[in-house]
Amino acid sequence: MAEAVDYKVIGTSPVRPDGVDKVTGRAQYGADMNLPNMIYGKVLRSPHAHARIKSVDLSKALAMPGVYAAVSGADFPQAQHGEIGGEGGGDVADLAKNIMARDKVLYHGHAVAAVAARSVQLAEAALEAIDVSYEPLPPVLDLDAAMAVDATLLDENCFTKNLPEKPDKPSNIAAVMQLARGDVEAGFADADVIVEGEYRIPMAHQGYIEPHACTASVNEGGQATVWCCTQGHFEFRAMASKVLNMNIADLKFIASEIGGGFGGKTVLYLEPLAILLSQKSHRPVKMTMTREEVFRATGPTSGTHCKVKVGAKKDGTLTAATAWLAYEAGAFAGAPMGPGAMSIFAPYRLDNFHIEALDVLVNKPKVAAYRAPGAPQSMHAMECALDDLARELGMDPIDLRMKNAAEEGTQAPYGPKFPAIGFKACLEAAKQHPHYTRPIPEGAGRGVAAGFWFNVGMQSSAEVHINENGTVTVVEGNPDIGGSRASMCLMAAETLGVTYEQVRTLIGDTESTGFSNVTGGSRTTFATGMAVVQACEDIIAQCKARAAATWGVDEDQVEWEDGQAVPAPGVNADVKPLSLADIAANAARTGGPLLGRASLNAQGAGASFAVNIADVKVDRDTGKVDVLSYTAIQDAGKAIHPAYVEGQMQGGAAQGIGWALNEEYIFNTDGVMENAGFLDYRIPVASDLPMIDTQIIEVPNPSHPYGVRGVGETPIVAPLAVIANAVRAATGLRINDLPFSPPRVLEALDNA
Amino acid sequence: MYQFRYHKPATLEEAVDCYQSAEDGIYLAGGQTLLPTMKQRLAAPSDVIDLSAIDRLTGIEVTSDEVRVGAFTRHDEVARHEGIRRRLPVLAFLAAQIGDGQVRNRGTIGGSVANSDPAADYPAAVIGLGATINTNARQIAADDYFQDLFETALEPGEIITRIDFPVPSRAAYRKFPNPASRYAVVGVLVADFDGRIRVGITGAGPCAFRGTALEVALQGNLNSAAIEGVEVPDVGFNNDLHASAEYRAHLVKVMARRAIADLVG
Amino acid sequence: MSGVHVSTTVNGDATEYVCHPGETLLDVLRNRLGLTGAKEGCGTGDCGACSVTVDGSLVCSCLVLGAEMEGREVNTVEGLADGGTLHPLQDKFIEHAALQCGICTPGFLVAAKALLDRNPDPTEQEIRYALAGNLCRCTGYDKIVHAVDAAAKEVRKQQKAAKKASGKKRR
Repeated sequence: MAEAVDYKVIGTSPVRPDGVDKVTGRAQYGADMNLPNMIYGKVLRSPHAHARIKSVDLSKALAMPGVYAAVSGADFPQAQHGEIGGEGGGDVADLAKNIMARDKVLYHGHAVAAVAARSVQLAEAALEAIDVSYEPLPPVLDLDAAMAVDATLLDENCFTKNLPEKPDKPSNIAAVMQLARGDVEAGFADADVIVEGEYRIPMAHQGYIEPHACTASVNEGGQATVWCCTQGHFEFRAMASKVLNMNIADLKFIASEIGGGFGGKTVLYLEPLAILLSQKSHRPVKMTMTREEVFRATGPTSGTHCKVKVGAKKDGTLTAATAWLAYEAGAFAGAPMGPGAMSIFAPYRLDNFHIEALDVLVNKPKVAAYRAPGAPQSMHAMECALDDLARELGMDPIDLRMKNAAEEGTQAPYGPKFPAIGFKACLEAAKQHPHYTRPIPEGAGRGVAAGFWFNVGMQSSAEVHINENGTVTVVEGNPDIGGSRASMCLMAAETLGVTYEQVRTLIGDTESTGFSNVTGGSRTTFATGMAVVQACEDIIAQCKARAAATWGVDEDQVEWEDGQAVPAPGVNADVKPLSLADIAANAARTGGPLLGRASLNAQGAGASFAVNIADVKVDRDTGKVDVLSYTAIQDAGKAIHPAYVEGQMQGGAAQGIGWALNEEYIFNTDGVMENAGFLDYRIPVASDLPMIDTQIIEVPNPSHPYGVRGVGETPIVAPLAVIANAVRAATGLRINDLPFSPPRVLEALDNA
Repeated sequence: MYQFRYHKPATLEEAVDCYQSAEDGIYLAGGQTLLPTMKQRLAAPSDVIDLSAIDRLTGIEVTSDEVRVGAFTRHDEVARHEGIRRRLPVLAFLAAQIGDGQVRNRGTIGGSVANSDPAADYPAAVIGLGATINTNARQIAADDYFQDLFETALEPGEIITRIDFPVPSRAAYRKFPNPASRYAVVGVLVADFDGRIRVGITGAGPCAFRGTALEVALQGNLNSAAIEGVEVPDVGFNNDLHASAEYRAHLVKVMARRAIADLVG
Repeated sequence: MSGVHVSTTVNGDATEYVCHPGETLLDVLRNRLGLTGAKEGCGTGDCGACSVTVDGSLVCSCLVLGAEMEGREVNTVEGLADGGTLHPLQDKFIEHAALQCGICTPGFLVAAKALLDRNPDPTEQEIRYALAGNLCRCTGYDKIVHAVDAAAKEVRKQQKAAKKASGKKRR
């Protein structure tokens, strides 16, 4: 594949097929489904961060007029251990206990019971009538406390995994991971300069604007239909079937439009509750979370404590590096320490390294995926350390990275050798970018940092239907979270040789199309796109066969060019080319409707690299940091729809800036989040940000027919360190902990 | 929200009657604080009395020495009012910085001052300009009005009808907005009434108060150097998730300095 | 508690409803009138996804009671297009890729319309200030600001053309 090719429609930015519905209010999101006879479910949540549940009494709630059903942990089947794959995966029993607490509550906001009633108000009143008796336990609220020798345990059956021998005592450290290569000691001995740093970053939330919502309707035959906002309705179906011990064939999941997810909507919360309540009430049940519930009881990303040490020669060549990375898992095991460990040194050639990563239980909500899960935190540490190193060496920070940049053939720290990658191209582009070459504004500081994400492939299915008039309907199973319908249409149009306008893409439900893993891991345009391309190739093969039959020639004597079947060169067929419309019109006489299919487990998701540049100004009187200008440079492999690729880069940068400057979960000493609302957990607004310039680099991914690399996650990786490095440039101070709230920055300035 | 009865009286007298006969009544002005509080089930009034239909609470009057703002005037109206922008620009400037557009279009000056949120902006103007709070029953001087956290001199059922702001020779307001909520972490209004200086401070303490030490230092010496030596102790200052008392005390001087700089150019 | 009867105008249509005192305007729009374009992102007036105009002024419909709407004029995203013609803001949002997930889009469109009604030629800073009550987590706001700017130009062009046309008629 994939040289730089001139495409006809790929690389253009047409309007999205779902655009009009989304600007007129027609598009139906998670909370917009209404059914006849529908009632409303609400969840009772734990007032304690850590407690044993002694009893739950639903009887008073159930006795209230208008209350139709109530459930608690006792209404669920026994939770079975077992792995669930995919981005929202983990242990089934943990997932089940997170959805509804059984013997213990493990965070403030943990679901304890749920009711369904005629109105939301009535359901809320019914929650107050539920009697729960707790035996409070001391909450474990940070990494240090959790790892202390005499720490209170969240789970007496948790023995640290991946140690050489099973430990004899349980611990809050759920798992350890090690990655190593070469001789670290010798590497540091070789170094002329060594820098070290220690960084703490608190929990932060994805902050999607749409709260979780679903509507479930279970019929008298036990078949359930669930409408919900999800990043993957097939995986939700699989998880629900395991949590509820239901036959997967009795579960139909329909993905609504989704109002943002960023990884957070790969996890099941409300759906099993709605199904149970619907089963018990014989009515459709709608459940929506409040924003407060979203903060307290869905999965933010881990708070972390990272230590990094890097050695280099005078010329900048890295000689060794070590990292110690502790991730808060929240209430159940499964922090993204693995990807954090695998990504931290990934952009660099490094012969000697050692990485240890820990998955640590604390009495906070169970973390979920958040855009490049684990990487922003670990790479923040490395990219800050490299910035310090560049200063010590008197080197330009881009030159230092270039000196050590991974390229095709470099063995990644996590094992495989990179195929063609775009890191050096991003660094070169950054070095020459007008943002980098222009003078730094008076009093400001400029920072740079790199970002990286593996991207994933996983399973996807696609069908391509040729309608009677030759127009094309693509059906696939990945909720469109940022314009992927348009990307699928573009790839289908390019492959078939038709116009973009002739193609429409729709997202099938679990009964109307083949399995696809979640919209996550930056996989949709890559993997599902690959399935769409293959399904289109299936169509082309069928069309060629139909044309061959029509013309009375062999199939290999027909070629597909510009959307039509033509005789191969040298074939003496005196025929008119047959367009897709011609073949469709004649389909009944040539074998029936045209349907192309593909399903695959995509391999070769190309890693995506980025380099970001920011200028910031620090108000020395107040500690406030303002971002004056920001540039994101990223390798997209091939930008199918460049405007949406830019959008991913800009959105990721904005999220990263928010995380760096403002966003954090603030807990009181009882483990209660004190800022569980957008009033106090404020994500950046329009007036907080400058324009975010973008430059798309295109180093095609050799494993994709059009060279696509995932683009959705890499954008959030660099911003944390970019801001920290820019603040260092502006103030001369390395501030180790995020976020850079004004009081923290002022304190650092005062202490300097 | 808990259940409640909704009333929309047409006159002040009806409103007060309604309040008196309610078990646990509450007045509704712009609702931008009340409604979220009720939705979070932190307030459960039996009766909500909507003040929007009462003509006596509306209207803005600008004279040569006073700006009189009806209690039901929304923040955006104050921010855009031609007369206020001409006579008392500091008030329009302050109003334009409250919350966001949606809040400014709904929130009212009377509601803000009655609620007395420690981080609200208007209290800095009430104190700094030495306004008079007019109610259905009486007039209250600014210095007597704010008492403690969400506590004012208002009696139960008393309704603010109008706030009268004396027009200073010059005044400036500077606030450090919370990066999240845009509430004032600290806001300082400095006003010069022909050499008599008033300083109103919001955000720092449980309620807005006068910066008397700053006033003394600035009397006859209105420049930022004059306050360099003034100590702002953080005793009793708010200490919460947004900022420490110490940080707030520091901001008081920073914001005062900036307001003074705005005044003396 | 008994319901409150309200007569009001929604997107130009005379509308009547009975609501409970505790229902917000957003609840009424979504659950009683079937207008689900306005979204509930926070319920506390902090995200702007439920933005509508009341008598032309931009508000969070989650912080207004349905009962307060007697005699008012409410406009929502569903009323933004003129029959079959999209408002220039709607066109430009699609054209400039100013939406990704789209959940905040109705609120942004209503907020931007309120801005352009008052200021048809806003600067970038004025656009950012006017939209500061609306949260978008996908776009980083760039493309939204560009779309509003482009729509403002289009609105001005249309206003100019309309003026010219009516001037001609008068003559």
